[in-house]
Amino acid sequence: MIELHNVFKKFAGRIAVDDLSFTVRRGEIFGLLGHNGAGKSTAIGMMLGQVWPTSGEVKVCGHDVASNRRAALMQVGAIFETPVFYDYLSGARNLEILSTYTAPTSKARIREVIEWVGLTGREQSKVRTYSHGMRSRLALAQALLPKPELLILDEPSDGLDPEGIHEMRQTILRLQHELGLTILLSSHLLNEVEQLCTRIAVLQKGKKVFEGNVADVKAARGKVALKTSDFADAAKLLLERGLITATEKGQFITLAENHSTAEITQTLVAAGIAVEGIWQHEQTVEDFYLNLIKPPPILAKN
Amino acid sequence: MFFAQLKNELWKLFGKKRTYIGFGAFVIAQALMMLMFKYTHWQSMYERWLSGNGYLASEYISALTVALQMIVPQILLLMPLYVALVGGDLVAKEAEDGTLRMILSRPISRLRLLWVKWLAGIIFAAVLTLALGVIALGFARLLFPWKGMFVPGQTPTDLVFGIFTANEGLRLYVFSHLFMTVNAITMLSVAFMFSCFNMKPAAATILSLSFLFMSMVMQRIPFFEAYQNWFITHHFECWLLVFQTPAPWSQICQSEIILFAVSATAFIIGAMAFQVRDIKS
Repeated sequence: MIELHNVFKKFAGRIAVDDLSFTVRRGEIFGLLGHNGAGKSTAIGMMLGQVWPTSGEVKVCGHDVASNRRAALMQVGAIFETPVFYDYLSGARNLEILSTYTAPTSKARIREVIEWVGLTGREQSKVRTYSHGMRSRLALAQALLPKPELLILDEPSDGLDPEGIHEMRQTILRLQHELGLTILLSSHLLNEVEQLCTRIAVLQKGKKVFEGNVADVKAARGKVALKTSDFADAAKLLLERGLITATEKGQFITLAENHSTAEITQTLVAAGIAVEGIWQHEQTVEDFYLNLIKPPPILAKN
Repeated sequence: MFFAQLKNELWKLFGKKRTYIGFGAFVIAQALMMLMFKYTHWQSMYERWLSGNGYLASEYISALTVALQMIVPQILLLMPLYVALVGGDLVAKEAEDGTLRMILSRPISRLRLLWVKWLAGIIFAAVLTLALGVIALGFARLLFPWKGMFVPGQTPTDLVFGIFTANEGLRLYVFSHLFMTVNAITMLSVAFMFSCFNMKPAAATILSLSFLFMSMVMQRIPFFEAYQNWFITHHFECWLLVFQTPAPWSQICQSEIILFAVSATAFIIGAMAFQVRDIKS
């Protein structure tokens, strides 16, 4: 649904996106992660034809955005951080206005999306009277108007309270399950990304530093949690025997290649160290992300 | 779709309170000016002037005469201000508020978007000019009789001096508004052009006003007398020429063509700048 090939974008001497390539497949929820200024919004801007790439190719729904923007965006909906509307007009009027920038939309369709997002009864009120949560729902409604196949969500939970964040998360899942949408989600909420996304890409200073499945990230191959009567002795023994390569935080071990948790247990029990628990550790996306983008350690001066 | 988009641009434009600042200012300015005309020495000055030229003053101190006198300073000062305010807002305000980003996440082309916005601005300029004329004449009629029209030669460039019957005066009064509308459209187009660049709405308004006032000031400097045709404010004065007898149609047509060309050029420059711009939050 989205293809970026060697995309490069420079703003007045500053490189915002550097040789970025990734693909979002039909039906998946794809997470775009990165710190502020990493190039996420610029990348999204290029997908929507709002920002022109300096070089490279951006395709949406099979069409090149630069040369055939109309066809590319015909069935795309987008939500941006802090949704903005014409405050002095009603929610329904806002939807009517925004729908005309895509294709003729019937009043029945407008009513349908209002109902889907749960704004029925308030659609004739001026948007200035809406809470942040209601504005987010209206933003979702406008994105759903053109019956999209692809939804691009740029920080959709930004500024929402915990209930609002939870509701947005449930809504995104509903969008995928009920409407079968492909979703690109840019978010700072790593917990949210972990719960929603099937694949992620991580950007750092405009460059892609990771692209892969969330399941693979969480598997954290080789990392095992170990609970024993004496972790220090156990770790020392296992290192001496070459069964592990590293220890971490007094509770994790990294298995050496071709060794299993069963061997670890046998070795420790044989050495008289009681094993209270041993299990494959599941890494969170947050752990993974922080390890990936953490700055290099500062060398102490002698 | 085009008309639906245009209708919605008009909804957005006329739904905002600041769009009506100009209308409100015209009402207040005209009410004050009319009271001044009625209760100061203005009338006796005009009576002396008309009597000195052999005309019966009581026949020409009328609603039409007063309405035209009220319009002249407003066309020069208030009209550019309010038209530039709205023109400067048309694109830049949407970019500043963030609604432009939402619009441009949809498949509408940038050129089409600008086109409907510009047309909506043109409609606003026409309505504002019409309102100016109607309000001026309406107010003047409240306190002055419906009689012949006197156009004194005290306009900025002393272009005209005319005496007309009420019917003829009304016809010319209405006709002159057609040309005033072209002036307003040109002012709006200049502000619209600046609005298409990456700048705040206030900056677009101030730049366009600076451009217009600079043209007005330079036009009045004797050194530039030979270059009058290069100043758009010189061409703005052609609306007064319809009151000349006989009206210099070739001069009026030339000015109108130049003003149309300036408006089209401003739109094209604005569209080109907008097309290559990156729209970011």
